[in-house]
Amino acid sequence: MRGKDMSLFVASVGFGLITSAVLAIAALGFTLQFAVTDVLNLAFAAVMTLAGFVAYWVNNAGLSVWLGLVVSMAVGSLVSVLLNYFVYSPFQRRGSAPITLVIVSLGMALIIEFGVAAIVGGVNVSYAMSQGSTLRLGGMTLTTVQLTIIAISLVVMAGVHALLRYTKLGKAMRATAANRTLARNCGIRASRVIAVTWALTGALCGLAGTVFAIDIGSFDPFSTDLFLILILAAVFLGGPGNAYGAMLGALVIGLATEISAGLPFIQADYKYVVAFVALLAMLAVRPTGLLGART
Amino acid sequence: MYYLITLLVYGAVDAIACLGLSQQFGVAGVTNFGFIIFQAVGAYVAAVLALPPDTANGGFQIYVGGLNLPFPVPWIGAAVAGALLALPFTFLVGRRLRGDFAAVGLLVTAVLLNLLATNYRQLFNGDAGVSLVPAPLAAQRSMFVTTSNAYQYEFAAGAILLAAVVYLFVRRITESPYGRTLRAMRDNDKVADSLGKNLLSLRTGAMVVGGAIAGLSGGILVSFIGVWSPAAWSYAETIVLFTAVIIGGAGNHRGAVLGAILVPVGFEEITRFITNNNPSLPPNLLPSLQWVAIGLLIVVFLWARPQGVLPERKRVIPPPPTLAQRMLHRVPGQDVSRVRQRTKPPAPGSAAAASEAGSPVRSRRSRYPRPTGDGPEILQAIGVSKDFGGVHAVSGVSISVRRGTLTGLIGPNGAGKSTLLSLLAGTEKVSAGKIIYQGRDITALPAYRRARTGLVRTFQLASEFKRLTVLENLLTADPANRGDSFLGAAAGRRYWLADEARAVDRARALIDSFGLTANANDYAGDLSGGQRRLVEIMRALMSEPDMLLLDEPMAGVHPELARKIGDALRGLCQDGMTILMVEHELAIMDEFCEPVIVMADGGVLAEGTMTELRDRTEVVEAYLVG
Repeated sequence: MRGKDMSLFVASVGFGLITSAVLAIAALGFTLQFAVTDVLNLAFAAVMTLAGFVAYWVNNAGLSVWLGLVVSMAVGSLVSVLLNYFVYSPFQRRGSAPITLVIVSLGMALIIEFGVAAIVGGVNVSYAMSQGSTLRLGGMTLTTVQLTIIAISLVVMAGVHALLRYTKLGKAMRATAANRTLARNCGIRASRVIAVTWALTGALCGLAGTVFAIDIGSFDPFSTDLFLILILAAVFLGGPGNAYGAMLGALVIGLATEISAGLPFIQADYKYVVAFVALLAMLAVRPTGLLGART
Repeated sequence: MYYLITLLVYGAVDAIACLGLSQQFGVAGVTNFGFIIFQAVGAYVAAVLALPPDTANGGFQIYVGGLNLPFPVPWIGAAVAGALLALPFTFLVGRRLRGDFAAVGLLVTAVLLNLLATNYRQLFNGDAGVSLVPAPLAAQRSMFVTTSNAYQYEFAAGAILLAAVVYLFVRRITESPYGRTLRAMRDNDKVADSLGKNLLSLRTGAMVVGGAIAGLSGGILVSFIGVWSPAAWSYAETIVLFTAVIIGGAGNHRGAVLGAILVPVGFEEITRFITNNNPSLPPNLLPSLQWVAIGLLIVVFLWARPQGVLPERKRVIPPPPTLAQRMLHRVPGQDVSRVRQRTKPPAPGSAAAASEAGSPVRSRRSRYPRPTGDGPEILQAIGVSKDFGGVHAVSGVSISVRRGTLTGLIGPNGAGKSTLLSLLAGTEKVSAGKIIYQGRDITALPAYRRARTGLVRTFQLASEFKRLTVLENLLTADPANRGDSFLGAAAGRRYWLADEARAVDRARALIDSFGLTANANDYAGDLSGGQRRLVEIMRALMSEPDMLLLDEPMAGVHPELARKIGDALRGLCQDGMTILMVEHELAIMDEFCEPVIVMADGGVLAEGTMTELRDRTEVVEAYLVG
């Protein structure tokens, strides 16, 4: 590899790490949501959009975007809990088929995404924030903000690990994911665990929405449409419902898309094709994912 | 005037697309979130078949093809392209994948293909799309004629005519035995599999037929509007079509047409009359609110009226007329009497009458001659094991079932009885071991092919096809109906009517013998628990099995009825059928089953008559402790 290509490669690894970091937060939220609540929530990216705009409004009011980030987490959490309480949970209680819930979640995605679009119009916005100083790390050029995003993602991953492994709530979540009826019979209040899961994963969703918006710089209500594809690819690559699989999937998909975009013989527009091929291949060969159980 | 014609053409195109989706989603239960890409490929293919080479017109657009072919080749090509595009996706909708995962895969495909078509200009001119697509028969008529009102009316009439043809076609398919099988698969695919239905081939059929219809709709549309670009087929358009079919009534083709008129046409057109003149409102308010309305329609309809405006029609098969009625209807001309006359019972004394009247249950041993040289065992399991992620549900089980016996299978909860039954029927694959049936190694055969050789199972949990009537539930199991294939269905009613009438007679006889005559035309999902068990047993018998694997057929059934079922099963065995039955009720085992196999902890503990087993302490212990 010639020097110029090499530096391009290293730079795209840097981009890949940031994309992976953002993706990991979102994929963890999505996959935990699916595991515990059994809803394949396609409105996830729409809630991310809403949260990103909430942070923008906070930011626009003259406050720091980092404060906006905290508010967006609260909003993501609240919206997700309400979604479950007023929409998904009633459908599930009625015994609707999983596919009906997927269609309902698509409907909710339209309502939220175009609801935001109706308010803000189709314009692009960006946060007023400083990118911080630039750091050079072995050929990669990263800003303080980008490093912060990676740090947040690492904290989230460690937090989810600790939650699932060491806390009572995490154990209850895993039990509910494995078998809801059995968990209920063992004295776990499944409906409460599910509500808490919506709140937690909703917060992750809100967080993901704002760091995504920070990362891409300029965004509109439809920016997350394609990002949903990446989330789905990461989730399915690791095995739907598998938290560690989602982390691995996010790393693989984030790096693969950005590195392929940096390769000289692939046009940048085609970077999503990698995610697409990974997703379809997993669905065809091994629907339980890389870390999933063998069927 | 022109506006009216546009509405008519759009209505026809949307109706065709919705009919394709209704067939795929409403009837066959295949959720194709990538439906729009089939319309898109039809439109592109029709465009490049009709267009001259891309060097014409100064080469301002690039595309493959440009064959300049005359009408109707582009439209035929559009339908063929839609059908062919379906083939690579059959792996997604095949047997192993959850329906909602497959749907997500198709949605992602739709988004990505749109992205590719936008960015890859060499194929269909990228983002700008192809334009100046010639109207049908344009070569024969001058430019001025194709824009005339008369020509436009002809076009609209042609499109509506094609919509009518598509409607008749999907109705012909849906109302056939094949259509009934598709609906059974929609209601419960695992059970359809166990009755000998090849899910992969059925789903492939649904994808191909839906794809061809969607492709045709795209071809017609592009011939009318003359342009086609990625903006016309974003994944959201699929949601609009789904909304139309859900609102109209999934599974009812008239509902699909109604939905097409209400949603895509109404949705597009109503906003022409609402204009946003208020400068203080955001610029994209109205288009955005349109989509919010679509989302609300989906959610509200799925909640308040999931069956749609025009729900799926119940297929009532009228009871056979009494002798007096038959006399009255001697005069031909009325449909019902005509059907009945064709199917009137054969003359008494004939061989057919003897076999039909004697017992409604026939075994198909005549068609599967017993291989010479095999022993009295009809089914053998040799060292069969099944692991579920480290749990040994069944380990090293060897059993053999003798022909003509009513063999019982008992054991405490978790002993592996149901799993063993699933392994024998092929619902689950063995981890190790061999299964021999009628002297033939069937270990590698999938469930539907085992069912076709006469080895048929029932399920422990309710497994009726809910939105099929009792009669239809039985009819799905008919193993030899000429109408139970795509081509047979397409050949039309006359082709399969005789088979159907025979099957109906046989199903009615079964229903009568189990005392469910009054419920024959009720939805199976509306029956009581005990009645549903009966439907399941009758359906299994309808498939003319040599051997039945019954999983707790009497659970939840009134004891008196359970005894009647037991008597019936014993009668069948005396006539040569073999039954292996899982049952918890020891009294049933005492009365009907011999021999009885006892399982515990995934293995076989003992085998013998109930009297023998009661004397063996380990059996009693396993039951009491387990």
